[in-house]
Amino acid sequence: MRVEVRNLSFSYDYRPVLRNVSLNLENGDFLVVVGNNGSGKSTLVKCILGINRVPEKKIFLDGMEINEFRRRLRIGYVPQKLDDFNYEFPITVNEIMHVSRYSRMRDEDKLALFDRMGILELQNENINTLSGGQLQRVFIARAMVNNPDLLILDEPTAGIDAESEAKFYRIVNDLNDEGVTVILISHNLKPGRSNFNRIMRLTDGRARTIAASEYFERGVD
Amino acid sequence: MEIDSLILMGFIRALIERQFMQFALITGILVGLLAPVIGSFVVIKRLSLIADTLSHFSLAGLSIGLFLLNILRLPIGDPLYVGMTFAVIGALLIEALRSYYKNYKEISMPIVISLGTALSALFISLAGGFNTEIYNYLFGSILTVGRNFVFIMAVTTFVILLLIAIFYKRIVIISFDERYARLLGIRVGVFQFFSTIILGLVVSLSIETVGVLLVGSLMIIPVAAAMKIGNSFKTTLLIAILFSEVSVILGLWLSYSFGFPSGATIVLFNILILLMVIIIKKIFSSPHAEEKVAMEAEVRTE
Repeated sequence: MRVEVRNLSFSYDYRPVLRNVSLNLENGDFLVVVGNNGSGKSTLVKCILGINRVPEKKIFLDGMEINEFRRRLRIGYVPQKLDDFNYEFPITVNEIMHVSRYSRMRDEDKLALFDRMGILELQNENINTLSGGQLQRVFIARAMVNNPDLLILDEPTAGIDAESEAKFYRIVNDLNDEGVTVILISHNLKPGRSNFNRIMRLTDGRARTIAASEYFERGVD
Repeated sequence: MEIDSLILMGFIRALIERQFMQFALITGILVGLLAPVIGSFVVIKRLSLIADTLSHFSLAGLSIGLFLLNILRLPIGDPLYVGMTFAVIGALLIEALRSYYKNYKEISMPIVISLGTALSALFISLAGGFNTEIYNYLFGSILTVGRNFVFIMAVTTFVILLLIAIFYKRIVIISFDERYARLLGIRVGVFQFFSTIILGLVVSLSIETVGVLLVGSLMIIPVAAAMKIGNSFKTTLLIAILFSEVSVILGLWLSYSFGFPSGATIVLFNILILLMVIIIKKIFSSPHAEEKVAMEAEVRTE
Protein backbone atom coordinates (compact mmCIF):
# COMPACT_ATOMS: atom_id res chain seq x y z
CA MET A 1 0.00 0.00 0.00
CA ARG A 2 1.18 3.54 -0.72
CA VAL A 3 1.19 5.91 2.23
CA GLU A 4 1.48 9.67 1.86
CA VAL A 5 1.56 12.19 4.70
CA ARG A 6 1.56 15.87 3.70
CA ASN A 7 2.78 18.48 6.21
CA LEU A 8 0.84 16.93 9.06
CA SER A 9 0.70 18.81 12.35
CA PHE A 10 -1.20 17.30 15.27
CA SER A 11 -1.90 18.52 18.82
CA TYR A 12 -3.43 16.98 21.93
CA ASP A 13 -5.38 19.74 23.75
CA TYR A 14 -3.29 22.51 22.12
CA ARG A 15 -0.03 20.69 22.93
CA PRO A 16 1.66 20.19 19.57
CA VAL A 17 2.94 16.63 19.10
CA LEU A 18 3.63 16.48 15.36
CA ARG A 19 4.94 19.48 13.41
CA ASN A 20 4.83 19.47 9.62
CA VAL A 21 5.58 15.80 9.19
CA SER A 22 5.73 14.53 5.61
CA LEU A 23 6.20 11.02 4.38
CA ASN A 24 5.95 9.13 1.13
CA LEU A 25 5.96 5.34 1.05
CA GLU A 26 5.64 3.19 -2.06
CA ASN A 27 4.35 -0.40 -2.20
CA GLY A 28 6.80 -2.69 -0.43
CA ASP A 29 8.71 0.04 1.41
CA PHE A 30 9.94 -0.75 4.92
CA LEU A 31 10.08 2.36 7.11
CA VAL A 32 11.49 2.45 10.61
CA VAL A 33 10.42 5.39 12.77
CA VAL A 34 12.89 6.11 15.56
CA GLY A 35 12.91 8.73 18.29
CA ASN A 36 12.86 9.17 22.06
CA ASN A 37 9.80 8.68 24.24
CA GLY A 38 7.34 11.49 23.63
CA SER A 39 8.79 12.39 20.23
CA GLY A 40 5.47 11.67 18.51
CA LYS A 41 6.08 8.16 17.09
CA SER A 42 2.90 6.54 18.39
CA THR A 43 0.88 9.67 17.59
CA LEU A 44 1.97 9.45 13.95
CA VAL A 45 0.90 5.79 13.85
CA LYS A 46 -2.46 6.62 15.42
CA CYS A 47 -3.01 9.26 12.74
CA ILE A 48 -2.25 6.79 9.95
CA LEU A 49 -4.50 4.16 11.57
CA GLY A 50 -7.37 6.64 11.80
CA ILE A 51 -7.47 6.48 15.64
CA ASN A 52 -6.53 10.16 15.78
CA ARG A 53 -8.73 12.21 13.51
CA VAL A 54 -6.65 14.43 11.22
CA PRO A 55 -7.64 17.44 9.08
CA GLU A 56 -8.59 16.77 5.46
CA LYS A 57 -5.99 16.17 2.77
CA LYS A 58 -3.14 15.42 5.16
CA ILE A 59 -2.92 11.63 4.86
CA PHE A 60 -3.57 9.52 1.74
CA LEU A 61 -3.65 5.72 1.62
CA ASP A 62 -3.26 4.36 -1.92
CA GLY A 63 -4.18 7.86 -3.10
CA MET A 64 -7.40 7.99 -1.10
CA GLU A 65 -7.96 10.67 1.55
CA ILE A 66 -7.83 8.92 4.97
CA ASN A 67 -11.19 10.21 6.24
CA GLU A 68 -12.80 8.55 3.23
CA PHE A 69 -10.72 5.39 3.40
CA ARG A 70 -13.11 2.55 4.30
CA ARG A 71 -11.06 -0.55 3.55
CA ARG A 72 -9.65 -0.85 7.06
CA LEU A 73 -8.98 -4.59 6.71
CA ARG A 74 -6.11 -3.74 4.37
CA ILE A 75 -4.15 -2.41 7.35
CA GLY A 76 -2.68 -4.83 9.88
CA TYR A 77 -1.61 -3.45 13.25
CA VAL A 78 0.41 -4.92 16.10
CA PRO A 79 0.05 -2.60 19.09
CA GLN A 80 2.66 -1.68 21.67
CA LYS A 81 2.83 -4.14 24.60
CA LEU A 82 -0.58 -5.58 23.63
CA ASP A 83 -2.09 -4.18 26.81
CA ASP A 84 -5.36 -3.18 25.16
CA PHE A 85 -6.29 -6.87 25.12
CA ASN A 86 -8.25 -8.33 28.07
CA TYR A 87 -6.07 -11.31 28.92
CA GLU A 88 -7.38 -13.12 31.92
CA PHE A 89 -10.59 -14.44 30.41
CA PRO A 90 -10.00 -17.76 28.61
CA ILE A 91 -9.82 -17.57 24.82
CA THR A 92 -7.79 -19.74 22.45
CA VAL A 93 -5.51 -18.59 19.64
CA ASN A 94 -7.93 -20.08 17.13
CA GLU A 95 -10.87 -18.20 18.63
CA ILE A 96 -8.97 -14.89 18.46
CA MET A 97 -8.25 -15.50 14.79
CA HIS A 98 -11.85 -16.48 14.11
CA VAL A 99 -13.32 -13.28 15.57
CA SER A 100 -10.65 -11.10 13.90
CA ARG A 101 -11.19 -12.49 10.41
CA TYR A 102 -13.58 -10.56 8.18
CA SER A 103 -12.22 -11.39 4.77
CA ARG A 104 -12.34 -14.69 2.94
CA MET A 105 -9.56 -17.07 3.87
CA ARG A 106 -9.58 -20.78 3.28
CA ASP A 107 -8.82 -23.03 6.24
CA GLU A 108 -5.64 -24.30 4.63
CA ASP A 109 -4.42 -20.71 4.16
CA LYS A 110 -5.15 -20.02 7.81
CA LEU A 111 -3.16 -23.08 8.86
CA ALA A 112 -0.32 -22.03 6.54
CA LEU A 113 -0.30 -18.61 8.26
CA PHE A 114 -0.20 -20.27 11.71
CA ASP A 115 2.62 -22.52 10.54
CA ARG A 116 4.61 -19.60 9.23
CA MET A 117 4.21 -17.66 12.47
CA GLY A 118 5.23 -20.76 14.45
CA ILE A 119 1.91 -20.96 16.27
CA LEU A 120 0.43 -24.04 14.62
CA GLU A 121 0.82 -26.14 17.79
CA LEU A 122 -0.57 -23.31 19.90
CA GLN A 123 -3.85 -22.88 18.05
CA ASN A 124 -5.97 -24.55 20.73
CA GLU A 125 -4.06 -23.07 23.65
CA ASN A 126 -5.56 -20.53 26.01
CA ILE A 127 -3.60 -17.32 25.42
CA ASN A 128 -3.07 -16.94 29.18
CA THR A 129 -0.57 -19.76 29.01
CA LEU A 130 1.61 -18.27 26.23
CA SER A 131 4.99 -16.59 26.67
CA GLY A 132 5.66 -12.99 25.57
CA GLY A 133 7.31 -14.08 22.32
CA GLN A 134 4.51 -16.50 21.48
CA LEU A 135 1.89 -13.84 22.18
CA GLN A 136 3.72 -11.40 19.94
CA ARG A 137 3.59 -13.92 17.07
CA VAL A 138 -0.11 -14.57 17.72
CA PHE A 139 -0.76 -10.85 17.37
CA ILE A 140 1.20 -10.56 14.13
CA ALA A 141 -0.81 -13.51 12.84
CA ARG A 142 -3.96 -11.62 13.88
CA ALA A 143 -2.72 -8.55 12.02
CA MET A 144 -2.12 -10.72 8.93
CA VAL A 145 -5.36 -12.71 9.04
CA ASN A 146 -7.17 -10.33 6.67
CA ASN A 147 -4.28 -10.29 4.18
CA PRO A 148 -3.36 -6.61 4.66
CA ASP A 149 -0.94 -4.75 2.43
CA LEU A 150 0.18 -2.31 5.11
CA LEU A 151 1.57 -3.64 8.39
CA ILE A 152 2.13 -1.22 11.28
CA LEU A 153 4.14 -2.42 14.26
CA ASP A 154 4.42 -0.23 17.37
CA GLU A 155 7.47 -1.18 19.50
CA PRO A 156 6.68 -4.82 18.85
CA THR A 157 9.73 -6.39 20.50
CA ALA A 158 9.61 -4.56 23.83
CA GLY A 159 9.92 -7.09 26.64
CA ILE A 160 10.51 -10.25 24.61
CA ASP A 161 13.71 -12.35 24.61
CA ALA A 162 16.43 -12.05 21.96
CA GLU A 163 15.57 -15.28 20.19
CA SER A 164 11.87 -14.46 19.88
CA GLU A 165 12.88 -11.02 18.64
CA ALA A 166 15.06 -12.53 15.89
CA LYS A 167 12.25 -14.88 14.89
CA PHE A 168 9.85 -11.93 14.84
CA TYR A 169 12.07 -9.92 12.47
CA ARG A 170 12.48 -12.91 10.13
CA ILE A 171 8.70 -13.11 9.78
CA VAL A 172 8.30 -9.36 9.20
CA ASN A 173 11.15 -9.32 6.65
CA ASP A 174 9.53 -12.21 4.75
CA LEU A 175 6.19 -10.41 4.65
CA ASN A 176 7.92 -7.27 3.39
CA ASP A 177 9.71 -9.27 0.68
CA GLU A 178 6.28 -10.32 -0.56
CA GLY A 179 5.30 -6.69 -1.09
CA VAL A 180 3.64 -5.74 2.22
CA THR A 181 4.48 -2.13 3.16
CA VAL A 182 5.82 -2.06 6.72
CA ILE A 183 6.00 0.79 9.24
CA LEU A 184 7.97 -0.21 12.33
CA ILE A 185 8.18 2.02 15.41
CA SER A 186 11.25 1.47 17.52
CA HIS A 187 13.23 3.41 20.07
CA ASN A 188 16.28 1.20 20.01
CA LEU A 189 16.79 -0.23 16.56
CA LYS A 190 19.60 -2.77 16.34
CA PRO A 191 21.55 -3.21 13.11
CA GLY A 192 21.07 -6.24 10.89
CA ARG A 193 17.65 -7.25 12.16
CA SER A 194 15.07 -5.82 9.82
CA ASN A 195 15.47 -5.21 6.09
CA PHE A 196 14.21 -1.63 6.22
CA ASN A 197 15.04 0.79 3.43
CA ARG A 198 13.93 4.03 5.09
CA ILE A 199 14.46 5.56 8.50
CA MET A 200 12.56 8.54 9.86
CA ARG A 201 13.78 10.19 13.02
CA LEU A 202 11.26 12.16 15.06
CA THR A 203 12.56 14.85 17.43
CA ASP A 204 9.92 16.87 19.30
CA GLY A 205 7.39 16.14 16.58
CA ARG A 206 9.69 17.16 13.71
CA ALA A 207 10.62 14.49 11.20
CA ARG A 208 13.88 14.00 9.38
CA THR A 209 14.60 11.16 6.99
CA ILE A 210 18.08 9.76 7.44
CA ALA A 211 20.22 7.05 5.97
CA ALA A 212 20.59 3.82 7.91
CA SER A 213 24.37 4.20 8.12
CA GLU A 214 24.03 7.64 9.68
CA TYR A 215 21.61 6.28 12.24
CA PHE A 216 23.87 3.46 13.34
CA GLU A 217 26.92 5.75 13.54
CA ARG A 218 25.32 8.50 15.55
CA GLY A 219 22.37 6.90 17.37
CA VAL A 220 18.97 8.42 17.91
CA ASP A 221 20.07 11.95 18.73
CA MET B 1 -32.51 -40.38 53.20
CA GLU B 2 -36.18 -41.27 53.05
CA ILE B 3 -37.17 -37.72 53.94
CA ASP B 4 -34.80 -36.41 51.26
CA SER B 5 -36.37 -38.55 48.59
CA LEU B 6 -39.85 -37.56 49.78
CA ILE B 7 -38.89 -33.91 49.44
CA LEU B 8 -37.49 -34.53 45.96
CA MET B 9 -40.62 -36.46 44.95
CA GLY B 10 -42.78 -33.64 46.27
CA PHE B 11 -40.78 -31.15 44.20
CA ILE B 12 -41.10 -33.26 41.04
CA ARG B 13 -44.81 -33.81 41.62
CA ALA B 14 -45.28 -30.06 42.09
CA LEU B 15 -43.44 -29.48 38.82
CA ILE B 16 -45.82 -31.82 37.03
CA GLU B 17 -49.05 -30.74 38.72
CA ARG B 18 -48.70 -27.08 39.62
CA GLN B 19 -48.69 -24.46 36.91
CA PHE B 20 -46.88 -21.85 39.05
CA MET B 21 -44.01 -24.30 39.50
CA GLN B 22 -43.79 -24.85 35.74
CA PHE B 23 -43.70 -21.09 35.19
CA ALA B 24 -41.02 -20.76 37.86
CA LEU B 25 -38.91 -23.52 36.31
CA ILE B 26 -39.16 -22.12 32.77
CA THR B 27 -38.32 -18.60 33.98
CA GLY B 28 -35.43 -19.94 36.04
CA ILE B 29 -33.99 -21.90 33.13
CA LEU B 30 -34.27 -18.91 30.77
CA VAL B 31 -32.64 -16.52 33.25
CA GLY B 32 -30.08 -19.19 34.09
CA LEU B 33 -29.15 -19.27 30.40
CA LEU B 34 -29.24 -15.57 29.60
CA ALA B 35 -27.60 -14.13 32.74
CA PRO B 36 -24.20 -15.88 32.43
CA VAL B 37 -24.06 -15.32 28.65
CA ILE B 38 -24.50 -11.56 29.10
CA GLY B 39 -22.41 -11.75 32.29
CA SER B 40 -19.42 -13.16 30.39
CA PHE B 41 -19.17 -10.08 28.17
CA VAL B 42 -19.64 -7.85 31.23
CA VAL B 43 -16.82 -9.65 33.08
CA ILE B 44 -14.44 -9.47 30.09
CA LYS B 45 -15.02 -5.72 29.85
CA ARG B 46 -14.32 -5.44 33.61
CA LEU B 47 -17.75 -3.95 34.25
CA SER B 48 -18.83 -6.47 36.89
CA LEU B 49 -20.56 -3.82 39.01
CA ILE B 50 -22.76 -2.60 36.15
CA ALA B 51 -25.46 -5.23 36.79
CA ASP B 52 -25.86 -4.16 40.42
CA THR B 53 -25.91 -0.52 39.40
CA LEU B 54 -28.63 -1.12 36.84
CA SER B 55 -30.71 -3.26 39.18
CA HIS B 56 -30.71 -0.44 41.76
CA PHE B 57 -31.74 2.00 39.08
CA SER B 58 -34.41 -0.39 37.88
CA LEU B 59 -35.76 -0.52 41.46
CA ALA B 60 -36.33 3.23 41.20
CA GLY B 61 -38.51 2.55 38.15
CA LEU B 62 -40.37 -0.24 39.94
CA SER B 63 -41.12 1.98 42.94
CA ILE B 64 -42.21 4.86 40.70
CA GLY B 65 -44.43 2.32 38.92
CA LEU B 66 -45.95 1.24 42.24
CA PHE B 67 -46.50 4.89 43.19
CA LEU B 68 -48.26 5.65 39.87
CA LEU B 69 -50.34 2.50 40.11
CA ASN B 70 -51.29 2.39 43.80
CA ILE B 71 -51.40 6.05 44.80
CA LEU B 72 -52.18 8.01 41.64
CA ARG B 73 -54.28 5.09 40.28
CA LEU B 74 -52.85 5.52 36.80
CA PRO B 75 -53.49 2.51 34.54
CA ILE B 76 -49.81 1.82 33.74
CA GLY B 77 -50.15 -1.96 33.78
CA ASP B 78 -47.29 -3.83 35.44
CA PRO B 79 -44.65 -1.70 37.27
CA LEU B 80 -42.19 -4.09 35.61
CA TYR B 81 -42.41 -2.02 32.41
CA VAL B 82 -41.40 1.14 34.29
CA GLY B 83 -38.59 -0.88 35.87
CA MET B 84 -37.39 -2.04 32.45
CA THR B 85 -37.51 1.50 31.09
CA PHE B 86 -35.47 2.74 34.05
CA ALA B 87 -32.87 -0.01 33.64
CA VAL B 88 -32.35 1.13 30.05
CA ILE B 89 -32.22 4.82 31.09
CA GLY B 90 -29.70 3.88 33.82
CA ALA B 91 -27.58 2.03 31.27
CA LEU B 92 -27.52 5.04 28.94
CA LEU B 93 -26.69 7.29 31.90
CA ILE B 94 -23.70 5.08 32.76
CA GLU B 95 -22.48 5.23 29.16
CA ALA B 96 -22.83 9.04 29.14
CA LEU B 97 -20.94 9.40 32.44
CA ARG B 98 -18.25 6.94 31.29
CA SER B 99 -17.53 9.06 28.25
CA TYR B 100 -17.65 12.27 30.35
CA TYR B 101 -15.10 10.95 32.92
CA LYS B 102 -12.83 9.21 30.40
CA ASN B 103 -10.02 8.45 32.83
CA TYR B 104 -12.21 7.66 35.84
CA LYS B 105 -14.90 5.59 34.18
CA GLU B 106 -15.86 3.66 37.33
CA ILE B 107 -17.13 6.93 38.87
CA SER B 108 -20.29 6.43 36.79
CA MET B 109 -21.37 3.40 38.86
CA PRO B 110 -21.66 4.97 42.35
CA ILE B 111 -23.35 8.04 40.85
CA VAL B 112 -26.05 5.98 39.13
CA ILE B 113 -26.43 3.60 42.13
CA SER B 114 -26.90 6.58 44.46
CA LEU B 115 -29.48 8.19 42.19
CA GLY B 116 -31.34 4.87 41.83
CA THR B 117 -31.32 4.14 45.57
CA ALA B 118 -32.38 7.67 46.49
CA LEU B 119 -35.28 7.65 44.01
CA SER B 120 -36.28 4.17 45.23
CA ALA B 121 -36.36 5.23 48.88
CA LEU B 122 -38.35 8.34 47.98
CA PHE B 123 -40.99 6.57 45.89
CA ILE B 124 -41.26 3.51 48.15
CA SER B 125 -42.16 5.92 50.91
CA LEU B 126 -44.58 7.87 48.67
CA ALA B 127 -46.16 4.60 47.50
CA GLY B 128 -47.12 3.70 51.06
CA GLY B 129 -43.94 2.27 52.54
CA PHE B 130 -42.41 -1.17 52.67
CA ASN B 131 -44.70 -4.04 51.62
CA THR B 132 -44.61 -7.52 50.09
CA GLU B 133 -44.22 -6.20 46.55
CA ILE B 134 -41.12 -4.24 47.54
CA TYR B 135 -39.77 -7.25 49.44
CA ASN B 136 -40.24 -9.37 46.30
CA TYR B 137 -38.45 -6.78 44.17
CA LEU B 138 -35.53 -6.75 46.60
CA PHE B 139 -35.12 -10.49 47.06
CA GLY B 140 -36.92 -12.07 44.09
CA SER B 141 -40.09 -14.09 43.83
CA ILE B 142 -39.64 -16.66 41.11
CA LEU B 143 -42.49 -18.79 42.53
CA THR B 144 -45.01 -16.03 41.81
CA VAL B 145 -44.26 -15.24 38.14
CA GLY B 146 -47.25 -15.34 35.80
CA ARG B 147 -47.88 -16.53 32.24
CA ASN B 148 -47.34 -13.01 30.89
CA PHE B 149 -43.87 -12.73 32.41
CA VAL B 150 -42.84 -16.17 31.15
CA PHE B 151 -43.85 -15.09 27.66
CA ILE B 152 -41.87 -11.81 27.84
CA MET B 153 -38.87 -13.70 29.21
CA ALA B 154 -39.02 -16.35 26.47
CA VAL B 155 -39.25 -13.78 23.67
CA THR B 156 -36.45 -11.66 25.16
CA THR B 157 -34.17 -14.68 25.58
CA PHE B 158 -34.80 -15.82 22.02
CA VAL B 159 -34.21 -12.38 20.48
CA ILE B 160 -31.05 -11.69 22.52
CA LEU B 161 -29.50 -15.10 21.81
CA LEU B 162 -30.31 -14.69 18.12
CA LEU B 163 -28.60 -11.27 18.05
CA ILE B 164 -25.55 -12.69 19.82
CA ALA B 165 -25.37 -15.56 17.31
CA ILE B 166 -25.61 -13.17 14.34
CA PHE B 167 -23.04 -10.66 15.64
CA TYR B 168 -20.94 -13.16 17.61
CA LYS B 169 -17.57 -12.28 16.06
CA ARG B 170 -18.02 -8.55 16.42
CA ILE B 171 -19.30 -8.76 20.00
CA VAL B 172 -16.38 -10.96 21.07
CA ILE B 173 -13.69 -8.80 19.46
CA ILE B 174 -15.23 -5.61 20.90
CA SER B 175 -15.26 -7.19 24.38
CA PHE B 176 -11.69 -8.44 24.25
CA ASP B 177 -10.04 -5.61 22.33
CA GLU B 178 -12.15 -2.54 21.68
CA ARG B 179 -9.42 -0.57 19.95
CA TYR B 180 -8.66 -3.40 17.54
CA ALA B 181 -12.36 -3.72 16.73
CA ARG B 182 -12.36 -0.03 15.77
CA LEU B 183 -9.35 -0.60 13.54
CA LEU B 184 -11.18 -3.39 11.76
CA GLY B 185 -13.84 -0.81 10.90
CA ILE B 186 -16.46 -2.22 13.31
CA ARG B 187 -18.90 0.46 14.50
CA VAL B 188 -18.11 -0.03 18.17
CA GLY B 189 -20.32 2.85 19.35
CA VAL B 190 -23.44 1.38 17.75
CA PHE B 191 -22.75 -2.06 19.26
CA GLN B 192 -22.09 -0.54 22.66
CA PHE B 193 -25.35 1.40 22.56
CA PHE B 194 -27.42 -1.71 21.80
CA SER B 195 -25.57 -3.98 24.21
CA THR B 196 -26.14 -1.42 26.96
CA ILE B 197 -29.88 -1.46 26.26
CA ILE B 198 -29.89 -5.28 26.20
CA LEU B 199 -28.01 -5.36 29.50
CA GLY B 200 -30.63 -3.07 31.04
CA LEU B 201 -33.46 -5.32 29.84
CA VAL B 202 -31.84 -8.52 31.10
CA VAL B 203 -31.13 -6.97 34.50
CA SER B 204 -34.68 -5.76 34.96
CA LEU B 205 -36.15 -9.11 33.91
CA SER B 206 -33.78 -10.99 36.23
CA ILE B 207 -35.08 -8.96 39.18
CA GLU B 208 -38.20 -11.18 39.25
CA THR B 209 -36.00 -14.23 39.79
CA VAL B 210 -33.44 -13.20 42.39
CA GLY B 211 -34.32 -9.61 43.21
CA VAL B 212 -32.52 -6.29 42.93
CA LEU B 213 -29.91 -7.12 45.55
CA LEU B 214 -28.80 -10.36 43.92
CA VAL B 215 -29.11 -9.79 40.16
CA GLY B 216 -25.39 -9.03 39.81
CA SER B 217 -24.43 -12.33 41.39
CA LEU B 218 -26.57 -14.29 38.90
CA MET B 219 -24.62 -12.72 36.03
CA ILE B 220 -21.15 -12.69 37.53
CA ILE B 221 -20.62 -15.66 39.90
CA PRO B 222 -21.13 -18.56 37.43
CA VAL B 223 -18.76 -16.75 35.06
CA ALA B 224 -16.22 -16.16 37.84
CA ALA B 225 -16.22 -19.91 38.55
CA ALA B 226 -16.18 -20.97 34.88
CA MET B 227 -13.26 -18.73 33.89
CA LYS B 228 -11.03 -20.60 36.35
CA ILE B 229 -11.79 -23.93 34.61
CA GLY B 230 -12.46 -23.15 30.95
CA ASN B 231 -9.65 -23.34 28.43
CA SER B 232 -11.43 -21.59 25.58
CA PHE B 233 -14.07 -18.88 25.32
CA LYS B 234 -16.77 -21.30 24.22
CA THR B 235 -16.13 -23.92 26.90
CA THR B 236 -16.02 -21.18 29.55
CA LEU B 237 -19.39 -19.92 28.37
CA LEU B 238 -20.88 -23.43 28.41
CA ILE B 239 -19.50 -24.19 31.89
CA ALA B 240 -20.92 -20.88 33.18
CA ILE B 241 -24.36 -21.79 31.77
CA LEU B 242 -24.12 -25.27 33.34
CA PHE B 243 -23.22 -23.86 36.79
CA SER B 244 -25.97 -21.28 36.50
CA GLU B 245 -28.67 -23.81 35.53
CA VAL B 246 -27.63 -26.25 38.27
CA SER B 247 -27.89 -23.42 40.81
CA VAL B 248 -31.29 -22.33 39.52
CA ILE B 249 -32.78 -25.84 39.66
CA LEU B 250 -31.30 -26.74 43.07
CA GLY B 251 -32.25 -23.30 44.41
CA LEU B 252 -35.80 -23.67 43.16
CA TRP B 253 -36.05 -27.10 44.76
CA LEU B 254 -34.89 -25.89 48.20
CA SER B 255 -36.97 -22.76 47.91
CA TYR B 256 -40.14 -24.77 47.18
CA SER B 257 -39.45 -27.53 49.70
CA PHE B 258 -38.49 -25.40 52.70
CA GLY B 259 -40.07 -22.04 51.90
CA PHE B 260 -36.66 -20.31 51.62
CA PRO B 261 -36.44 -17.12 49.52
CA SER B 262 -35.74 -18.31 45.95
CA GLY B 263 -33.19 -15.60 45.07
CA ALA B 264 -31.12 -16.31 48.15
CA THR B 265 -31.01 -20.08 47.61
CA ILE B 266 -30.10 -19.74 43.91
CA VAL B 267 -27.29 -17.30 44.66
CA LEU B 268 -26.00 -19.38 47.59
CA PHE B 269 -25.75 -22.42 45.30
CA ASN B 270 -23.79 -20.28 42.83
CA ILE B 271 -21.42 -19.24 45.63
CA LEU B 272 -21.12 -22.88 46.76
CA ILE B 273 -20.07 -23.93 43.24
CA LEU B 274 -17.56 -21.07 43.08
CA LEU B 275 -16.06 -22.14 46.43
CA MET B 276 -15.84 -25.76 45.27
CA VAL B 277 -14.08 -24.66 42.07
CA ILE B 278 -11.56 -22.56 44.01
CA ILE B 279 -10.87 -25.37 46.52
CA ILE B 280 -10.58 -28.09 43.86
CA LYS B 281 -8.27 -25.88 41.78
CA LYS B 282 -6.08 -25.33 44.87
CA ILE B 283 -5.92 -29.05 45.63
CA PHE B 284 -5.12 -30.15 42.09
CA SER B 285 -2.62 -27.46 41.20
CA SER B 286 0.68 -27.53 43.07
CA PRO B 287 2.13 -24.21 44.27
CA HIS B 288 4.56 -24.24 41.34
CA ALA B 289 1.97 -25.05 38.69
CA GLU B 290 1.94 -21.55 37.25
CA GLU B 291 5.72 -21.45 36.95
CA LYS B 292 5.56 -24.86 35.26
CA VAL B 293 3.04 -23.60 32.71
CA ALA B 294 5.28 -20.61 31.99
CA MET B 295 8.33 -22.84 31.59
CA GLU B 296 6.52 -25.18 29.23
CA ALA B 297 5.47 -22.17 27.20
CA GLU B 298 9.12 -21.08 26.99
CA VAL B 299 10.17 -24.54 25.86
CA ARG B 300 7.59 -24.43 23.09
CA THR B 301 9.14 -21.18 21.89
CA GLU B 302 12.54 -22.79 21.40
